[in-house]
Amino acid sequence: MIHKFQERISGAALAAVFGVAMSSGALAADIVVGGIYPLTGPVAYDGATKHNGAKLAVEEVNASGGVLGGKFVLKVEDGACNPAQSVSAAEKLITQTKVVAILGAFCSSSSGAVMEVAKKYKIPHMTGVSTSQDLTRQGNPWFFRATGTSALLGQAFGPTIVKAGAKRVAFLVVNDDWGRAVASSYAKSIKAAGAKVVATEIFSRDDTDLFPYITKIKTRNPDVVISASNTQLAANVTKQLRQLGVKSTLMGEGAFTSEAYRKLVGKLALGVVGLVEYIPSIDSAKNKAFVKKYKSRFKEEPSKFSAAGYHAVHILAAAIKRAGSTNSEKLRQALLRTDYAGLTGNFKFAANGQAYNFNVFMAKNVAGGLQVVGVGTIPKP
Amino acid sequence: MLAQRIALWAAGAAVIIALPLVLGEGYHLHLVIMATIFAIMAAGLDITVGFGGLLSLGHAAFFGIGAYTSALLYLHFGVPMWGGLFGGAAMAALAAFLLGTLILKIRGHRFVITTVAFAEIARLVAYNWTDLTRGQRGLPGILPPVVHIPGLGTIDFVSKTAFFYVTAVIAVISIGVAWRIAHSPMGRGFVALRENENLAESVGIDARWYAILAFTIGAFFGGIGGSLYAHYVSFVGPDLFYFSYTTIFLVMVVTGGKGTIVGPVIGAFAFTLLPEYLRVANEFRLVFFGAILVVVMLFFPNGLYELWLRVKRRSRPRPSSAAEPTDA
Amino acid sequence: MLEALPQIFFNGVLVGASYALIAMGLTVIFGLMNIANFAHGQFYMMGGFLAFYLTTELSLNFFLALPAAVAIVVAFGILLDRTVFKRLRGKPLISSVLVTIGLAILLENLALVLWGPRPAAIPNPLSPDPVQIGPIFTTEPRLFAVGVTVVVIALVHTLLHHTRTGKAMRATFQQQEAAALSGINIDRLYSLAFGVGAGLAALGGVLLGAIFYVNPSMGGVATLKAFIVTILGGMGSFVGAIVGGLLLGLAESFGTLWSSAYKDAIGFVLVILILLYRPDGLFRKV
Repeated sequence: MIHKFQERISGAALAAVFGVAMSSGALAADIVVGGIYPLTGPVAYDGATKHNGAKLAVEEVNASGGVLGGKFVLKVEDGACNPAQSVSAAEKLITQTKVVAILGAFCSSSSGAVMEVAKKYKIPHMTGVSTSQDLTRQGNPWFFRATGTSALLGQAFGPTIVKAGAKRVAFLVVNDDWGRAVASSYAKSIKAAGAKVVATEIFSRDDTDLFPYITKIKTRNPDVVISASNTQLAANVTKQLRQLGVKSTLMGEGAFTSEAYRKLVGKLALGVVGLVEYIPSIDSAKNKAFVKKYKSRFKEEPSKFSAAGYHAVHILAAAIKRAGSTNSEKLRQALLRTDYAGLTGNFKFAANGQAYNFNVFMAKNVAGGLQVVGVGTIPKP
Repeated sequence: MLAQRIALWAAGAAVIIALPLVLGEGYHLHLVIMATIFAIMAAGLDITVGFGGLLSLGHAAFFGIGAYTSALLYLHFGVPMWGGLFGGAAMAALAAFLLGTLILKIRGHRFVITTVAFAEIARLVAYNWTDLTRGQRGLPGILPPVVHIPGLGTIDFVSKTAFFYVTAVIAVISIGVAWRIAHSPMGRGFVALRENENLAESVGIDARWYAILAFTIGAFFGGIGGSLYAHYVSFVGPDLFYFSYTTIFLVMVVTGGKGTIVGPVIGAFAFTLLPEYLRVANEFRLVFFGAILVVVMLFFPNGLYELWLRVKRRSRPRPSSAAEPTDA
Repeated sequence: MLEALPQIFFNGVLVGASYALIAMGLTVIFGLMNIANFAHGQFYMMGGFLAFYLTTELSLNFFLALPAAVAIVVAFGILLDRTVFKRLRGKPLISSVLVTIGLAILLENLALVLWGPRPAAIPNPLSPDPVQIGPIFTTEPRLFAVGVTVVVIALVHTLLHHTRTGKAMRATFQQQEAAALSGINIDRLYSLAFGVGAGLAALGGVLLGAIFYVNPSMGGVATLKAFIVTILGGMGSFVGAIVGGLLLGLAESFGTLWSSAYKDAIGFVLVILILLYRPDGLFRKV
């Protein structure tokens, strides 16, 4: 008798478990996307702002009904801007968390490594930050870049810079792919516009003392110095340029307009021109709303990485909706048909995954904020 | 005795064959592959550090040289991984041989700093000689081999399972060779060099030559590891020369138990998996890692292998076989 | 180009002085106590961060925060010696290498967790505006750093050669058994030496943090340079650390004229050359 009773109990238990398993399958309609950001390491601060922008976008997507009837979930792993680590993170996200797409990995060399993983598993991979030209030159159909490259920025800005009166230009850039790309692409378009390049100094990311390089630049008497550096180095470049008595106008890609930068350099920021894809003071209704929401949530102004993280998530969500499914190939095709109205204009993708058609800005630091002194549009590559 | 050894080998083979089938094509197999690659390197480094007593703090250089050589051979000449392995190992060994010949009349801390300097110079070259190495952008697209076997079809080693088997075979061979070297007269010469250089010289061992040999052998294995890495991850960059890689290799050897070959292999697995599993600690991950390192090195300077042997010894009243680490 | 030579020279002197300061500590720890301290740069980093914390959170005046930060690191160094490094005495080199590497990883990442990755300049009453002395441009914090370094070097020299403790220290490092036999408390001296070594590095961190900024990853490069200078100048020699530091600083500054990308390689090449032709470095032990 007890036997039969036990049988019935276990039978019922089995049915219950089975039933729960079946129904939880129906409830788990969450669309999970993977994000590989540098949460530790030398660019952890910028990585965090990118993550914040992404978080905001995720909330907006879910607030307006989610994707394909389910919640949009962003699962984040630390890539630390280290290629091997980013690859491990990608493997984990794709094979264990089973994400439908990957966002990241911030630094170009890490994105380059993650690209190979995404290609292997045939999963769409989008970066909003990595600017190395290489990435869109490898014929990888699964890779998308929702930002400009220094080459495209150079093409967009070169003539404007020369028109503003530059005759002798010097470069003071960080020794990495980005710095070198800025030095070469801007040099090309500036020379084409009729000005001279008088010095190109390349310093290492670990260098705190830039006097040796600036001393060399000073002997060449440039009227404009163009730099490419992120927050910490940008502040260094600015301060030390003035400490050595160099009076040239300073222009730069990177962090020359952020709040953190202005706080670090104080009044030395006045007159410095940032060559940017995004600033919080861009005058559009959409951006104003974004900045307000970001400020109240994270207690500081959004950086260009915040905007990048924000754009990437929205572009991806829109593509998933457009595809009508999470099937990789359909998603890839849908991404190619992107026409997303972002904070800086309309984003479209060329066949090689490179975004174009959006605006970029020359933003001068003035008392009380930033003033846009020039606008360019990223041409179709 | 023989039956026991055959059983042990059979069990080992069974584990290797079954592992990918159990783990599947994902993250865990990825970690095992990385650990196996590092195990090859750790075994080689043990010859240099554990047996030769040469504290090399530049091993990342040989890892990087092996990886870049293999990558460049593939990208410019279409040499598949099989050739790349030899190319990478040979290049790394050559570099070590030249450096050793130049430097190894001095040892001790001065040798240590030289190896650091060498790895740093290698890194700067990889970073700045952009025409060859593409600098920071690195070299992508280094594919694993595709083998056509007439009659059986094609094996594409991009599959983790296939790559694991190949790596495991290479590992067994390499570690076996390392073991043989360590227990050969040459290996005993290394130990003599390590323990008492003057005494070694007095019995006819040319200390400098043996040091160069130990250094070169370690580098050779480092090159193999680098080459495997390049074809597995499909991407090489100057980060391979970072001091952090040197550190982890050394940690694997010493915490595993230097001078035992087996210890470093254990260390390789332990310290490939540890940082990954510490991910749960989020931003404290590396704090814990550093703390663990300090504690292990202070209280278990002879490594985990010795600890395991001690435990094994205690559970059996009989003294164990000759496979004990020498007290270094 | 010639008109820039005085500036290039002065740039090198400043950098060299900071290298000398950090190396002075390491030459004692490595040269005399045989501990390959790969966490040395972290003392430098700690000094900078402590000064930052004291000036910003506790609103301490910079000129008070400086000695306070150094004192805290000295105490920390002594503590470290009593707990960790005492166990390493007499052990082979590899033990101290790996323990200090572990320590370095721990301290750097702890700093990262506590202070975040954002770089921070140490607020100080010295003006960052350019100061022109003839053809040379510099700033007050830089002049202050050079000045303090000179004073500290003189102080250390006096302590070593003209006080009982200093003489006891030199005796201990030259002949440990004899010193112990004559009643000198070896352990106490080692701890003191370690603490002072750490303190010198910390001082470097504060001075440089006032000129530039501090961030948790700044220790790694400092360690590397400290080792180079220590070996260059001769392990255990204070004079060597000073001369070696200046030499490296000047070599890098002038080296930038030739190639800015390979500037860091200069130090490494110099080290290898010195080790080949003068393995003991430029100067002998203290």
